[in-house]
Amino acid sequence: MAVGENTRRILLQGQGLLRAILRPMWERPLSKRQLGLLLVLAGSAGFIAVLAIDILDAGREGGLGPAQSLALGGTLLILLVGLSLLPLGDRPA
Amino acid sequence: MPAERQIFFPFLFRMHKALMWAALLLLAGYLLVFLFYAANLIQFPFDYDQGEGFELVDTLLFSQGRWPWQNVEAYPFYSSNYPPLFHLLAVPFAWLFGPSYAYGRLLGTLATLIAAGAIAIAVRRDGGPGLLAPVSGLAFIASNTIYHIGPLNRQHMSMVMFETLALVVLANLGSIRDSRQRRKVFWTGLVLILAAGYTKQLALATALAAMVFLFIQRPLRGLQFAAAIALIGGGIFLMLTFATEGQWWLQTISANVNRYDPQQALGLLQQWFELHGFLVVPALLYLLYELYVDRLSIYSVWLVSALVIGLLSGKWGAGDSYFSTAIAATCILAGVGSSRLLAWLSERRNLRAAPGLLLIPLLYLGYSKSVLHLPTHSPPFDSIAALLEIRPNAPNGFYDSARSRAGDFPPGYADIGHLTSSEDLRAGEELVAIVRAVDGPVLSEDGSFALLAGKDEDTNPTQLLNLANNGLYRGDALLQMLREQAFGLIILRAGFFPGTVLQAIDENYGPDQVISMNGFDYRLYRPRPAQAK
Repeated sequence: MAVGENTRRILLQGQGLLRAILRPMWERPLSKRQLGLLLVLAGSAGFIAVLAIDILDAGREGGLGPAQSLALGGTLLILLVGLSLLPLGDRPA
Repeated sequence: MPAERQIFFPFLFRMHKALMWAALLLLAGYLLVFLFYAANLIQFPFDYDQGEGFELVDTLLFSQGRWPWQNVEAYPFYSSNYPPLFHLLAVPFAWLFGPSYAYGRLLGTLATLIAAGAIAIAVRRDGGPGLLAPVSGLAFIASNTIYHIGPLNRQHMSMVMFETLALVVLANLGSIRDSRQRRKVFWTGLVLILAAGYTKQLALATALAAMVFLFIQRPLRGLQFAAAIALIGGGIFLMLTFATEGQWWLQTISANVNRYDPQQALGLLQQWFELHGFLVVPALLYLLYELYVDRLSIYSVWLVSALVIGLLSGKWGAGDSYFSTAIAATCILAGVGSSRLLAWLSERRNLRAAPGLLLIPLLYLGYSKSVLHLPTHSPPFDSIAALLEIRPNAPNGFYDSARSRAGDFPPGYADIGHLTSSEDLRAGEELVAIVRAVDGPVLSEDGSFALLAGKDEDTNPTQLLNLANNGLYRGDALLQMLREQAFGLIILRAGFFPGTVLQAIDENYGPDQVISMNGFDYRLYRPRPAQAK
């Protein structure tokens, strides 16, 4: 019984702590740095995903097609924009 | 203040104002051209742009309480590949006036004017007072692309209208203090986004732009918006899928996965930049300013997402209309950016920055020149064309700067914009009379002839081709009817049927006559005699 109450109290404290950390994060505007980080992640994930088409889609002809090159260029641009935002710090995006 | 500033600035402001008025008058001229073209099309009872007929069929099916997403393997082999809202808006007119393009074209015209009004409101509210607000709204209508698709019986401009209204509503959500008012604005924006999405699928990018913007402003609100869109939009989607026994999903989603030609997309992107560059450059510069110096506005995020949609114009069946959302976003961003620059220049009275005062109206004057389009043979525009020595480079006496002097244009650019003539009217009447005289069904690539002759509209060729390209169409029943020569007449314009259907037409039907209408050749085929097959 006492163990259960302790667990419940710890869980409630953890939940409160999590809320205290997350709430301001969710309700505050993203900073330039945070936006930059998200763009870097999105650009990198997109870049890998476009390249992965060749590996996953075995039936496809090899090499980069023009549409794939266009998509790669787009993801690279997102990545570069993201990197350029990183030094801009905590100013709201 | 130094004396030279006291003299020089009022002079510069007067020059700025005079040039802004010149730009306003020039762009208002394009509004007249647009209204002239709209009035011409609204009075024309036959097909003009490929696809208008099928949008009318959708409206008529809804007016009879039937779904337009149907099994294309069974007669009449018809299905729509668009969402329903534009057609539903036209249903009351269909009840009142029956099959007609007039009300759909009127709705398209009104949607274009409302979108332009929303752009002007956005520039006025988020930029500042002055002539830039009406100039920005007029610049939207002056675009060659917006001009030629605006007054059509097509759903595209209604989507752009809903998108623009949604973003103008949501733009200042974060600055509303009153929570009740904020909720009202949130839900109004959300409903408008859903309306845009259920008018045409491309609005998905605008929905994403709104979500991203709200997420940047306040992540929780962005997630709430995304969840609400997913729940309501997804709920409607599932309901339609179940109600049509999967045809909604098949016809609007699966059939829309088409071959992509990057060369077409890049050609149209280049053309978009060449025509709208005078506004695209300031819009992009203002976007960079917001990204690195100020805070991102919803319009900047929208322009990025709209450009991605523009790049999808390389898809089979897509075209320059895919840039219309980007044109709306460009007009707002260029207008807001110019207004802010103007306010800054007026405040600082910095002599080194003074050229900016003249640059702003010169950009709009340059834009007015680069989007030049007008009828060259119809009064009152014929005298302007004669004065400027403009020769037509499109059918029926029309000049369009999007085309070369010889009339060429990049693949995907819609071959429309010219006025219809009395010869076109006579040709349309002749086609309807021919269709009416035929016993049995008629297979027509454009919809109006069969509808006006009181016959069923059979097939939607582009949709059959979409499905066939995705391996989702066999066409056994249609091929059988063609082999049996069940159609008394076949009318082809662009030959957008699947290859197997075109082959069956060729084997069983012979060319009869060609009738030209609106600069397009309608090729009529009749059943071949048995021994000639």
